[in-house]
Amino acid sequence: MQANMSIGTSLDFFLFVAIALFAIGAIGAMTRKNMIVLLMCIELMLNAVNLMLVTFSTYYGNGDAQIFVFFTMVVAAAEATVGLSIIIMAYRNLKSIDIDMYNQLKN
Amino acid sequence: MDSIVILFITGLLGLFVGMRRQAVLSLSISILGLIFAGIAAYFRGTYISPLASYSGYIPTPSNVIILLCVVSILAVLGGFQRYKQDEEHTGDYLSLLLFSLCGAIILAQPNDMMLFFIGLEILSIPIYVLVGIEKGSATSAEAAVKYFFTGSFASAIILFGIALLYGATGSFQIIEIQSNLAIGIWQSPMAMLGSLFLLAGFVFKIGAVPFHFWGPDVYQGASNAVLMYMSTIVKIAGIYAVLNVFGQIFRDSYFFWIDLIALIIVLSMFYGYITAWKQTSFKRLLAYSSIANAGLMLFALSDILNSNILLFVAAYSFATIPLVVINQLANPTQDAIANWEGIAWKNPLVGVALVIALFSLAGIPPLAGFFGKFSLLLAAVPHLPYAAILALVASVVGVFVYLRLLILALKKPTVQTKQSLSIEQSAVLLLTTLGSLSALYFI
Repeated sequence: MQANMSIGTSLDFFLFVAIALFAIGAIGAMTRKNMIVLLMCIELMLNAVNLMLVTFSTYYGNGDAQIFVFFTMVVAAAEATVGLSIIIMAYRNLKSIDIDMYNQLKN
Repeated sequence: MDSIVILFITGLLGLFVGMRRQAVLSLSISILGLIFAGIAAYFRGTYISPLASYSGYIPTPSNVIILLCVVSILAVLGGFQRYKQDEEHTGDYLSLLLFSLCGAIILAQPNDMMLFFIGLEILSIPIYVLVGIEKGSATSAEAAVKYFFTGSFASAIILFGIALLYGATGSFQIIEIQSNLAIGIWQSPMAMLGSLFLLAGFVFKIGAVPFHFWGPDVYQGASNAVLMYMSTIVKIAGIYAVLNVFGQIFRDSYFFWIDLIALIIVLSMFYGYITAWKQTSFKRLLAYSSIANAGLMLFALSDILNSNILLFVAAYSFATIPLVVINQLANPTQDAIANWEGIAWKNPLVGVALVIALFSLAGIPPLAGFFGKFSLLLAAVPHLPYAAILALVASVVGVFVYLRLLILALKKPTVQTKQSLSIEQSAVLLLTTLGSLSALYFI
């Protein structure tokens, strides 16, 4: 990392926000039980990365990362679609969206 | 390039043909598409469309595409018995499989982090759907839920790693990241953290030890037909992605990472083979064996230029697919190793294929599995001597895991019953057996 950051404190600020959002998402994804909330936590992680990419893109002054953000959004949308359908399919079988109820697979 | 286009068009066509509800028609179209994709890779492997060319674009090597197509043909044929059961969805399943293969081809040789991430998602998302194809079964639903959440969590971790590496180097192109890291930036905290996240995501995707926990559950809940595809293609594409992304960007600083990777290898091999001992479900045993094999594959990282990973993954796929086909015969509804008793005597082809596949997985000399393991370890010994010795010890434990299965399958049954095979299953067993034996030709 270069020592002289041209936009100094504001870069740090945006990075801290992005990392905080990512950490909130990651901790939520590991501790929460409701599958809809889990899906939201994963979306939060992806969006935190988007914020980070846009910050770096501004810092370096090239647009690559902003294009990447569009791809990430599309991927997030596809993941949400598949995820919600899987949750509905799972609900039909076990009548619950509590992740702790899904513990039948064991040796 | 051409192969991806052919596979995508065949997949779209398959969706429309699937509406006619003729399973054999859907199967023939998918197989034709896969064959043409393989032929296109052979003849026009280096062709780059002017629309897709930009600086530093490297097409996927044609031998990797051909291997992916051949393994997919075997997986489609072997699982066809399951796919044709839901007549109205056969076309959809096969199309999902082809779309996922497009992602595997992109993932095998990414030269840009953007391409890499898109390839990873195109590979994974159809498989999340395919794992849940047993719509009425609670275990299949559980496997789909677990695979979806762990998989998308790993994707988010990989994405975070990519963002941090972009922050450290200012580029998404792997060649540029590599040259920027080589001038000393790799020691900066941001690059270190980014590579650690990237490695964690990779280990998650290929299922090696610290993040292996999803493997056994997902494999057990998935249908045999999907298991054939999932346990081979994801591993092949995943290990190539590790080599071409992680191996390339850390070409100059690999001495820093190699100890961590050696630890992952040794832990995966011992954990996988020792835990496989006490399994009573075949799919779980296969999952633990695949954890151990994922560890072995990581040996290729120690010397990315000289390692012959292609032979190893080909041998692994040609040994795994017939075992799952045989499990489909032995366990049509449940999933217990006890049902394997005497399966080898019920049909001569099953017996031969089973012995060859288990010997190849165990690494008994004249078969493909032995040469795969041997060439991988030979290239790794100068760089990771202790890990290679420990891997040999773990392989000996692995031989006993496979022999236990073999002894059970070879037990002479008291009542002589016959097991009939469908045409496509016999073809798969014959082709994979020939594939495992073909290593003899190269001696």
